[in-house]
Amino acid sequence: MKHLIKYFAITSLIVVSSCRKLDIGPTDAYSTLNFWTADANVYNALNNNYSLMYNSGLYFGNEGLSDNAYSQNNNDLIQIASGNANSLTPKFAGDWAYYYSTIKSCNQFLTNVDQNTTLGATTLNRLKAEVRFIRAFEHFNLTKWYGDVPLVTNDITQEEAKTISKTPKAQVVDFVISELKAIISALPSKDQLPAGENGRITKGAALALQARVLLYQGNRMAEVVTACEDLMNNAGTNGTYSLVSNYSNLFSDPTVNRTNTETILSLQYVPATTRTWTDFWDFAPNSVGGRVNALAPTQELVDDYIMLNGRSITEAGSGYDENNPYVNRDPRLTATVVYDRYNWNNGGGVNGTSKIIYIKPGTDPTRPGPDEYSSGRQSSSPTGYYWRKYFDPSALANFTSGNNLHLFRYAEILLDYAEAKNSLGQMTATVWNQTIGALRARAGFTDQGALSYPGGDVTNIIRRERRAELALEGIRIDDIRRWRIAETVLNRYVHGAKFSGDPTTDNGYIRVQLRRFNPNRDYLWAIPSGDQSLNAQLTQNPGY
Amino acid sequence: MRSRLLQKLSPLKLRGRPSGVGLFFLLSCCGAANSHAENLIFNRTVSVTNIFDAVITGQVKDEQGQPLPGVTVKLQNSQVATMTDVNGNFKISVPDGDNNRSLTFTYIGFVTQTLIVGQQAQINVILKADTTKALNEVVVVGYGTQRRATINSAIGTVGARDINEKPVLNAVQALQGESPNLIIQQSTLDPGATLLINIRGVSTTGNNDPLLVIDGIVSQSTADLSLLNPNDIASVTVLKDAGAAAIYGSRGANGVLLVTTKSGKLNQKPTVTYNGNYGWQKPNVLVKKVDAADNAYYKNESLVNAGLPPSFTPAQIQQLAAQGNGTWDVNHLLYDAPQLSQNVSVSGGGATNTYFVSAGYLNQLSNFLGNGGSGNKFGFQKYNLRLNQSTIIGRFKLNGILEYTKSRNKTNSVGNNNIFADANRVPYNYSWQDENGNYLTNPIASQYNELGVLEKGGFNQADNDRIFGNLNGTLNIAKSLTLTGVFGGTIQNNGNFFRRTQVNYLPAGVYGNDLTTFDNNSKSHSFNTQVYLNYTKSFQQHNVNATLGVSSEINSQRGFQLQKTLTDPVFGNATTGTLIDATNSYNSITIQANSLQSVFGRISYDYKSRYFLDFVFRDDASSKFAQGQRSGFFPSVNAGYLISDESFMDPLRNTLSRLKLRASYGVVGNNQTAGNYTYLTTYFNYPGAYGYNGVIQGGAGTNLSNPLLTWERAATLNAGFDFGLFQNKLTGSFDYFDKTTSNIQQTPLDVPSIFGAAPPTANVAKVQNRGWEAEVTYTLKSAKVTQSFSANIGNTQNKLLQLTGNTQQIIYNQDVYQLIRRVGEPLTQYYGYVTDGYFQNQADVNSLPKPAGAIVGPGDIKFKDLNGDGKIDDNDKKVIGNPFPHYTFGFTYRVAVAGFDLTLFIQGVGQRDAFLRGELVEPFHYNYGQTLYDHMTNYWTPNNPDARYPRLASNGSPSNTNNWRNGSDLYRYNAAYARLKNVNIGYTLPSALTRKAGMQRVRVSAIGQNLFTLSKLKFIDPETTEFGNSVSPNTGSNSARNYLLPIFIGAGLDITF
Repeated sequence: MKHLIKYFAITSLIVVSSCRKLDIGPTDAYSTLNFWTADANVYNALNNNYSLMYNSGLYFGNEGLSDNAYSQNNNDLIQIASGNANSLTPKFAGDWAYYYSTIKSCNQFLTNVDQNTTLGATTLNRLKAEVRFIRAFEHFNLTKWYGDVPLVTNDITQEEAKTISKTPKAQVVDFVISELKAIISALPSKDQLPAGENGRITKGAALALQARVLLYQGNRMAEVVTACEDLMNNAGTNGTYSLVSNYSNLFSDPTVNRTNTETILSLQYVPATTRTWTDFWDFAPNSVGGRVNALAPTQELVDDYIMLNGRSITEAGSGYDENNPYVNRDPRLTATVVYDRYNWNNGGGVNGTSKIIYIKPGTDPTRPGPDEYSSGRQSSSPTGYYWRKYFDPSALANFTSGNNLHLFRYAEILLDYAEAKNSLGQMTATVWNQTIGALRARAGFTDQGALSYPGGDVTNIIRRERRAELALEGIRIDDIRRWRIAETVLNRYVHGAKFSGDPTTDNGYIRVQLRRFNPNRDYLWAIPSGDQSLNAQLTQNPGY
Repeated sequence: MRSRLLQKLSPLKLRGRPSGVGLFFLLSCCGAANSHAENLIFNRTVSVTNIFDAVITGQVKDEQGQPLPGVTVKLQNSQVATMTDVNGNFKISVPDGDNNRSLTFTYIGFVTQTLIVGQQAQINVILKADTTKALNEVVVVGYGTQRRATINSAIGTVGARDINEKPVLNAVQALQGESPNLIIQQSTLDPGATLLINIRGVSTTGNNDPLLVIDGIVSQSTADLSLLNPNDIASVTVLKDAGAAAIYGSRGANGVLLVTTKSGKLNQKPTVTYNGNYGWQKPNVLVKKVDAADNAYYKNESLVNAGLPPSFTPAQIQQLAAQGNGTWDVNHLLYDAPQLSQNVSVSGGGATNTYFVSAGYLNQLSNFLGNGGSGNKFGFQKYNLRLNQSTIIGRFKLNGILEYTKSRNKTNSVGNNNIFADANRVPYNYSWQDENGNYLTNPIASQYNELGVLEKGGFNQADNDRIFGNLNGTLNIAKSLTLTGVFGGTIQNNGNFFRRTQVNYLPAGVYGNDLTTFDNNSKSHSFNTQVYLNYTKSFQQHNVNATLGVSSEINSQRGFQLQKTLTDPVFGNATTGTLIDATNSYNSITIQANSLQSVFGRISYDYKSRYFLDFVFRDDASSKFAQGQRSGFFPSVNAGYLISDESFMDPLRNTLSRLKLRASYGVVGNNQTAGNYTYLTTYFNYPGAYGYNGVIQGGAGTNLSNPLLTWERAATLNAGFDFGLFQNKLTGSFDYFDKTTSNIQQTPLDVPSIFGAAPPTANVAKVQNRGWEAEVTYTLKSAKVTQSFSANIGNTQNKLLQLTGNTQQIIYNQDVYQLIRRVGEPLTQYYGYVTDGYFQNQADVNSLPKPAGAIVGPGDIKFKDLNGDGKIDDNDKKVIGNPFPHYTFGFTYRVAVAGFDLTLFIQGVGQRDAFLRGELVEPFHYNYGQTLYDHMTNYWTPNNPDARYPRLASNGSPSNTNNWRNGSDLYRYNAAYARLKNVNIGYTLPSALTRKAGMQRVRVSAIGQNLFTLSKLKFIDPETTEFGNSVSPNTGSNSARNYLLPIFIGAGLDITF
């Protein structure tokens, strides 16, 4: 018996020793010990933060929340735009989590990057400044939508996440502004940026975000002016910016879109790679390759484009013809919106063909007309309008585009400046010519009625200009909310073109969606109920 | 008279009782006092006649002539008894002088025999195996075997016959309904799809996969069972409780499936068997679109009810009616697909060796038309080759198993879900093709034409190759001691080849213009080495069986993929403009590896084959956890009591032939939820994060870790009994279990998203799972007819004890309705409003509570105001359904008469809720769907006030929002069913006839599958579920777009040479 046990013991030993050890690690990943010491890894971590800064879904989704557009299949947008959102609305939770996950990634970077000893202090400071910009941008977006929010400036633990409380909005804004001021010296100017770094965060971006943040507060217009003037007049330090000559090319021409004098910061994409976006697949008319319609321009947007003579369509002497509504209009209308009998030029790209887009029911020689308005079908627009702005003729199949999406461009600075000056009572012909006049000239207006300073109260003119210039860039909803006009413009039907066939209702314009806006509640989004239930400090916003 | 005797004789009785079983004595004293009295009378004889002893000797053998040790030999009507020794010999002293004295020979698994001995001094006996065979059955129990009769834990077995007589294509399907609480579900019925397996329901929020062990070697995935040739399987053992599964320690918590393949027998002539079957799978489309004109009418009604102008003029509707229906439906994408299965095997053995060689082939074509544009039709093929061989060299037995499996599954390139959705959502006036064969699109399905996709749009072809080998040797070191060494493993190679090719449509639309081609391959291997000692010994009436062993497992997997887009439209190779998709292309740098080192053991003891006690344990150390968290000890204790073997049960013997009580308690583990490196924080680089100046840049991300992560532990109590009635003509068993799984590995749910990342998996949850299972078999034999009925049923009920910390509940939005996990309730449940009929008139509308802001009218849904506060809000939501099957059952009836045989197999689920949504439920679903189906026409109108569905109202209208966007039991369907799964009618040709042709046996059969289903859910198959076997609340909702259940009708041929 004894030798049997020995036999067994020996065999067992052989078995156990012949097997692999229990310490098995991943073969394709770095550990906390060695990651940051490699320079390439630091840049990869930086790029990761850039990729988390914003995305095309948020960018275009903003438009569907505003009166510029209507989405027939995005339930979040439908729910929020129609005033039916609540603390369970998925987008409230999703956006919140998105911004905070970017903040975590930034904080991880800022906590650990000093482990790198080879990049040098100057470079590390610049990289940290870029990451601090992104972190500030996320906090700004959070406070913009949710009001008071937790200010997270370090890599918090799970326990801290359960107890952290909200910081008043004013303090969050102060943090954002102070960060932007603090980092500016570590950032290069646009002019200092080598071509290969085109797309990185610059001094100009820090100033542009400052201008936007301050403008949105409504009561800091003098500081807006300062920030804008710093950009407009201090090219030597902050980089040289100007309007590009062709409005449409800024969004559609792949070369101009990428390299131009106007962009201050864009979400960067790369053609024919995985860093592309395909949202336009659901923006374009069906007959030129569109899939379904996920975002349709409204009649309200179309109506806000002025006539070539500078008058609004409702103004006496505008020359507006309701039966031929798209002639003699702001050229940016054609650069932005596809309307009935639009002459679609595919620019030689693989998506679709150059053709006339027939939208009015029953007019398309091809039967059934794929782009015609027809109530309740997903493939065609529920408003009778499609988008043209951001169409990329060089896009691959399914509108897979590598064109950049502009987050900040010089035109916005000019509009910020005009609005701030005007609200400070400092609007003059000079300021006008520098801003609205310049934008209209660039857009293609030649009539002095549109170009020269009209005098008087130009508040609404500036606002309409902002809407026309920045349509489909996600700014309109912010403007509505900061101007506190949502209870008017988001509290009624949005409409489509005059194709409803029922002249007794809204004069024949399609009623697309009834919207409701509760000013006591809807100016702030709900703190997501999930987080609220897990952290007692997160008090809910009023009305939810 | 009797009571006086009692008093007088009680000291004798006590003296006569065997020592050492005081506990059992106590047990037997309770509840059986009457039978004691009977015993005592007989005792008297013993004591009085002792002095007249005569001696009888003899030997007991089985029908094969093997001596039987441990047979109880008892003088009838007395307490005089003995047992046979190792060589089957016995020696018994009996009172002399009674010519009618008889000896009774009892042995578990054999028919009890009583022989009149008379004055013979020697008698040899041959015991016949019990016809019910079940008790004598040798059951594989993990690192050894046990006879059925000695098992104390909850173990189910499925035999070869149960598997082989179904024309199913994989062994998992064959197991459905064969063992109670072995719950097999399908998420799709697509050929080649894997199935969901639960043993005793859901006990953890993590991974609920049972452990699969094939011929002693642990498999890495239960999917491996689908790859086996069902005809190669000799038996499947289902270890259900901790008592049995503790030998698999850290992986036994979800139960274990032990599969043993067939082998040859010593001294057996070569036997060649062939079996094959061929038939057609008829797709059973259960839904029917309303005619195009009716659809237009309903569309108008839904618009008008929403206050919108109608879409169709009366003239247009008339025109649609005149045109008739087109072909745009599911039926026109399907055909009756053939299915063929063929197997050949040769088995036999000499004096020192045995062999079993088999080859199998099956071809199950998909019901979808087309081939994607090139190559074979869509479908699933499998090739199996097996060699099981053993050699005896003196005291050493060497056994080798080699198996090769190849499977190929070719599917469409777009996904079944999309195909069914597009086929379903388009009204009947459209057709897939025009008269010239062009594929058409229409204003609803403007993008793709699915017939075009099936016929021209490319394919995905999965090719799996698997080699399984097992070399093991057993050395008889001594009479009662063996040493076994096992080395085995699997090498597997899984590949996918995918091509999307371009299809152009009229008047517009194009599919596949990205011209993606990818090819991937994953190589995995797992090796398992085991050494164990087995010791078997009988000392008088004490039987001991002990096993002690060690095991080492290593598993690793790596794979690569190359993906290109804009490839050559004809060949798929690179051409001008072709791009390499960097993100979706990768090398096999990433290795997923883990190892497990273990010690295990089992001691089984029984006394007189009547009192049983086992101790089982395993100690595992796993590489999946950080040092300090790696080791786990998993013990179990089992006890059994064959109470029917007690003499006080004798009076019941004619009815209750056998009754065994069993109980087990143990702790088993689960390490399957955690990934391989979850305990390590890592950083990984990835391509294509961002770009500067049009140049792509890489990125880096972090995986957060939890170094404290460790096993889940499931403490399981099992209690049950086995019984046999009427000479074991009716046998059965019943088990009850209570299992609590703690330390469940799960993402903590109490971390707000402000944390900024998904918190790493931690041991946070706790689940209780209780249930019962019963099975019963009744055999009826007459000279000409043999019949058997067997039925099984089981049920489990789980309860969430802890979710994470103090979190009481979590609600998951699943499109229009919700799922809830709430402490104190079953794991995953549907949650929402309770409907209360419809607003029938304006008075109802004015007076009854509504959701805030809802504008409703007659025909819209009323929700119950559960808290009575006059409004409908979140506080009025409650649990409204449970998606996991309850009361799962199987029933088999077999009858054989004069060459004919028939098997009927019915399987079903007694209780299950299915929530369905989508275009087959909601009229004109989100305007994505533009159809209405026959079953949806039962909607509210003033004349149909109790309709199944609310009034029609177009998407976006307040009515539609109220009715369809407030998740409620509107979406609930009763998915209980009973299905005639299998009918097999065979005729065996007279042997006189077949012998002439040189064949032993020829059987022809007719086979039908899924012939009839009884269910309240009529328009989709009630068997499919959207959930995996862990009822994860993150599963997408069920849009009723599953592959259809085919009805199979075919014929089979079995030949034995």
